Amino acid sequence: MVTLDLAELTVRQANEQIREYGEKSEDVEVLNPDSKHHIGVGLTSPINVHVRGSAGYFCAGLSDSANFIIDNNVGWGAGDNIYKGSVVVGGNAGAIAGVAIRGGEVVIKGNMGSRSGQVMKAGTLCCAGNANFMAGYMMYGGRIIILGDSGERIGEDMSAGDIYVGGDLQELGSDAIQTDLPQDELDEIREFLDRYELKFTGTLKKIINAGKKLRYPSLEKQMRSIPYFQFSADCDYWNEKIQEDIYIKSQIGRYRIRGYGGARSLPHFGDIAFRGDMSKVGTDMDAVSKVNLKTTIGGRHGGKPLKLTMPVMIAPISYGAISASTKQAIAMASALSGIAENTGEGGMSDAQRDSAKQLIFQCLGGRLGWNIHDMKRANGVEIYISQGAKPGFGGQLMAKKVTKELARIRGIPQGIDLRSPSRHPDILGPDDLVIKVEEFREATGYKVPVSVKMGAGRVPDDIKIAVKDTFDFVELDGMQGATGAGSSEVSEFVGIPTLAAIVEAVDALNDIESRDKIQIVLMGGMHDGVDMMKALALGADACAIGTSAIIAGGCIACMQCHIGDCPVGIATQDPEHEKRYNSEVEAHNIHRFLESVRWQIAAITQALGHDDVSQLSRDDLVALTPEAAAITGLPYEPEYRQQEDALRQKVG
Amino acid sequence: MCGLAGIMFKTGGSSNDTGKALIDMLDGCQHRGPDSTGFALYATDTEEDRLHLRFYIGPAGTAQGQKITEIKGILAKHGAPILKDEVIGDNYRCAVEFTGDLQKMSYDLEHVASIISIGSSLEIYKDVGSAHQVNDRYNVHEIKGTHGLGHVRMATESAVSPESAHPFWATGFSDVAIVHNGQITNYFKLRRRLERRGYEFHTDNDSELIAIYLADQLKHGVSLRDALGQSIEDLDGTFSYLASTKDEIGYAKDRLAVKPMIMYEDDDIIAIASEEVSINRLFPGKPLDTREPPPGTYMTWSR
Repeated sequence: MVTLDLAELTVRQANEQIREYGEKSEDVEVLNPDSKHHIGVGLTSPINVHVRGSAGYFCAGLSDSANFIIDNNVGWGAGDNIYKGSVVVGGNAGAIAGVAIRGGEVVIKGNMGSRSGQVMKAGTLCCAGNANFMAGYMMYGGRIIILGDSGERIGEDMSAGDIYVGGDLQELGSDAIQTDLPQDELDEIREFLDRYELKFTGTLKKIINAGKKLRYPSLEKQMRSIPYFQFSADCDYWNEKIQEDIYIKSQIGRYRIRGYGGARSLPHFGDIAFRGDMSKVGTDMDAVSKVNLKTTIGGRHGGKPLKLTMPVMIAPISYGAISASTKQAIAMASALSGIAENTGEGGMSDAQRDSAKQLIFQCLGGRLGWNIHDMKRANGVEIYISQGAKPGFGGQLMAKKVTKELARIRGIPQGIDLRSPSRHPDILGPDDLVIKVEEFREATGYKVPVSVKMGAGRVPDDIKIAVKDTFDFVELDGMQGATGAGSSEVSEFVGIPTLAAIVEAVDALNDIESRDKIQIVLMGGMHDGVDMMKALALGADACAIGTSAIIAGGCIACMQCHIGDCPVGIATQDPEHEKRYNSEVEAHNIHRFLESVRWQIAAITQALGHDDVSQLSRDDLVALTPEAAAITGLPYEPEYRQQEDALRQKVG
Repeated sequence: MCGLAGIMFKTGGSSNDTGKALIDMLDGCQHRGPDSTGFALYATDTEEDRLHLRFYIGPAGTAQGQKITEIKGILAKHGAPILKDEVIGDNYRCAVEFTGDLQKMSYDLEHVASIISIGSSLEIYKDVGSAHQVNDRYNVHEIKGTHGLGHVRMATESAVSPESAHPFWATGFSDVAIVHNGQITNYFKLRRRLERRGYEFHTDNDSELIAIYLADQLKHGVSLRDALGQSIEDLDGTFSYLASTKDEIGYAKDRLAVKPMIMYEDDDIIAIASEEVSINRLFPGKPLDTREPPPGTYMTWSR
């Protein structure tokens, strides 16, 4: 047994040592913990850690196979996301004990705070005292044993799993019901309690999911397919889209769900033009070798930055919304073009990891597929707050796509209409968020950048918070961003256009003299290098594309992504459909498209008289419409329209 | 957005190091709010008719002199002779004899300079920067007394400035202060209601609303404890806050309880903070028997 004293070591130093001793299978005791946060975070060795005192937030979080004993209290999120192993707390636990656990055992001998076991997937959370409100909120599996009183709204919106209550059952949550407790389950629980020397002689009440909210009650009638480009065409007030919307709503009596982004016309990069002489574009076919496009993203807080061969990244798209083969093709293309790929929600596959040279691993509120092992092999970790297509809402993954394999990776029941939580259990304000960011840095040994993905909403406030919470960069997503499944109304009408988002973000950072403290990766409906050039000149450090990468890789834009029967094998989890997709071929298609983007960026940068893409500025741009001028503050010079149209014809 | 701390010593009278204790507690949760830090500290053994006033008058070399002249003019108009005064950094501080209508005088004063606090025993020290930085400017560690509140702030919606730092004094009401973590979503509705009753607001910060809301209750003879209880009914949003008067401290916490709060009590002190790590700073190496106040509850303690 090794002794580490937190009166002498910082938590970061202690965690580094705990990990080293873990590799040598040496047990550790921690003295003078004094309620400090992040003790034992990211430990993946099967050792025993004895914390002699009270620990703060996320004690033993993001660990696998270690056994922790904490003599006294713990703060929020004890045992966050553990896979195996145990966390035994002698005193009380704060809110969300056992949050998002994928296995293992979390035992609280005192009382536990609100929302304990939120979005847990497997394993056991046991509380010998009383629970506060909403224990088992949105749980997907595993069991919660509460020997005292249940607290209010227990099992609120649980999808699966079992909850047992020994004391008063104060109030059932939405979609939770009480059921009979079989004798063998009671025996198993008694065996568990004996193992942890918890005395309990009474009986238990069992609570499970009632099954009324797992599926949408009415299915959308499948209509003849209208391609997105027709759907979103700038046509008359009554058009095919309006007609289709009305037909479908007359069947289902609720909002529609569909793939792709909004179809309304909004101020966008097409309303901006370059001020320079664009006739020079294309005169030098070797522009790529003469203009520096290399861009470094992240690394301001000590992590190893992403090194991009051009200021372009792939936008996060979940494995779930699209198939593993498509994720792999995009990963391959990103490596071929020397840029970064992003997992999106729903975990990381080996094929994707192996194919992408630089891969960001994204963490969402449901913690679906989130785990320490993939964090450690990622080149960046990202906290998703929201996305442009549906800011403030959770994702939807309809039952057809929630296959056995997908359910396994995400840790959820198969065949439900998955509605991902719109909020993180442990991020309810910027003050919680900063503690979460620190947890991720501890877990990854401060080796990778930590970024935040946010849909454009209250951009000035949000980006200031991102700076204060020490993110390395922000992926800022405007409302033209697409999704695999979203409420049509939200895609169309909620959010801030991409053009306004970047302007507001840059202004807000200048306002607090912090433009150099965070980088901005802008996304949301950008077609190609011409759009990106405008975003870069407006102040973005890099841009990310999702939709155009998918289209380059074979998508026909039928907008039926949510159904799961994708005719080209992209937005599907059905092996029969996925067979139609050839990752190798599509990877090269996407790669060639990315290279065309590279050429556009280089050629236009050169035509504007620069030899480095970082030299672009607002002076290179004019606005073509009064709206775009009002949003961006660029001079309104509609006479540039002709040149812009000519440029589009030439290189677009 | 913030970290809170509150402490009351049950023994030892006014000789306790409240300033030092709160610096330690706030340093322990500075990660929750790097922008500004503030302290509301109560010294005792003060004379009833004597008030301590603190103003924010801007950085040295600006219009400090003119502001002080204007403040002195208003004090003279209200019959409040100055017993002593000094300029400390951006603050002007004076002690006056006063028995008139404090609310009226405060509103007049607010029109010439930003008041930080007025009280017979309360003084608020707040500024941009960390607990230690604010201490370096105002020597908070020297302040002794019976009880006090502290706050670290991360500005999210309103500006980073000394005026929008916490604690907030309940303008016009001697010795009432609050610190708050959260958002009040019916801010404008309640603000309009209080403005119709003649109250003035000086910031767009929703925490100021809580201070004035409580002052209004206290003015109508409601006890601090009952006012805290009523506030859980009247305020919408998500909040945890601490309030203090000359003799009491208390907390209120909304039903959603997403803004954390933890408390510790023994024979000598009562300490409340956003995180246990702050309270543990007062007892290094010692595990504490703490309690989390249940959602939707409130409590007060008197010295």
